[in-house]
Amino acid sequence: MNDWNLAATLLLAVGAGAAVWGVSTGPLRRRVVAQNLSTSAVCPSLLLLAQGYDRPSYVDLALLLALLGPVGTLVFARLLSDELTDDPPRARGLTWAAAGLGAVTVVVLCAAVGPSRAMVKLLVIGALLIGGNVVASRALSGGFRGVRGG
Amino acid sequence: MADAVIVVSLLLVAVTATAAVANRDPARQALVLSVLGLVLAVLFTVLQAPDVGLSQLAVGSALTPLLIMLSVRRVKRRGQPKDGGR
Amino acid sequence: MDRRTALVATGELLAWWTGLALLWLVLISTVDPLECAVGAGVAAVGALAARAARRAVTWR
Repeated sequence: MNDWNLAATLLLAVGAGAAVWGVSTGPLRRRVVAQNLSTSAVCPSLLLLAQGYDRPSYVDLALLLALLGPVGTLVFARLLSDELTDDPPRARGLTWAAAGLGAVTVVVLCAAVGPSRAMVKLLVIGALLIGGNVVASRALSGGFRGVRGG
Repeated sequence: MADAVIVVSLLLVAVTATAAVANRDPARQALVLSVLGLVLAVLFTVLQAPDVGLSQLAVGSALTPLLIMLSVRRVKRRGQPKDGGR
Repeated sequence: MDRRTALVATGELLAWWTGLALLWLVLISTVDPLECAVGAGVAAVGALAARAARRAVTWR
């Protein structure tokens, strides 16, 4: 077991554990926030696992998750909007903490990979992850009221 | 020690699946189910089956919640005009 | 369609094609001529679709 796998295990135990706990207890607004942040906890750990197993093709899982995770959250933001307008979830600090976690992971992995096509791919995944996370979080807290109701 | 990541993901799957069963409201169950899809994909990855994990991610993170939430919305809408939404 | 709109449309298609082809080059595992040819073709189709989608969104 190398350091990458250890980091991935710790990230899974802390981040995904917190997401599971948050999504299975508490009011609805906390559950949607936890569902949104589960993507930002699992995607960096998938990247770390790909580096730990030394299999560059495992990075595709993280790419797909960074693409589809915010889509799932947008589904909830759209279809639960009636319940969420009463008390909209506010998780600005958590969102930026998750974005920072993704950015740190991607930067560390880029430093380990070195300048190559793989590094550009990592940067693309990082941009997708952080951008999707911020957009989904803003949709959950009602930032796109104008486009709702279509 | 090398199996720690497998143990962690197995524990996460067990806890999330139990939570999905223990919830009663379908909307909250859909939220837990989407997290369960993520955790299952991680489990498949650490068991060295990333192709299974890839399809699990595609189905579990966006498609299953969408289907469940659409059905819940349809059922609620159908129940409302008759007797105040069962 | 006069000369100027044709020029703008060509420029937009070219920009989409460049971006999509670069994305394809980044995401594939090994770079060889066949992959490049397929990527160029798919990027052309994607550029047409992206321009159509952009027009559909901005014209409402």
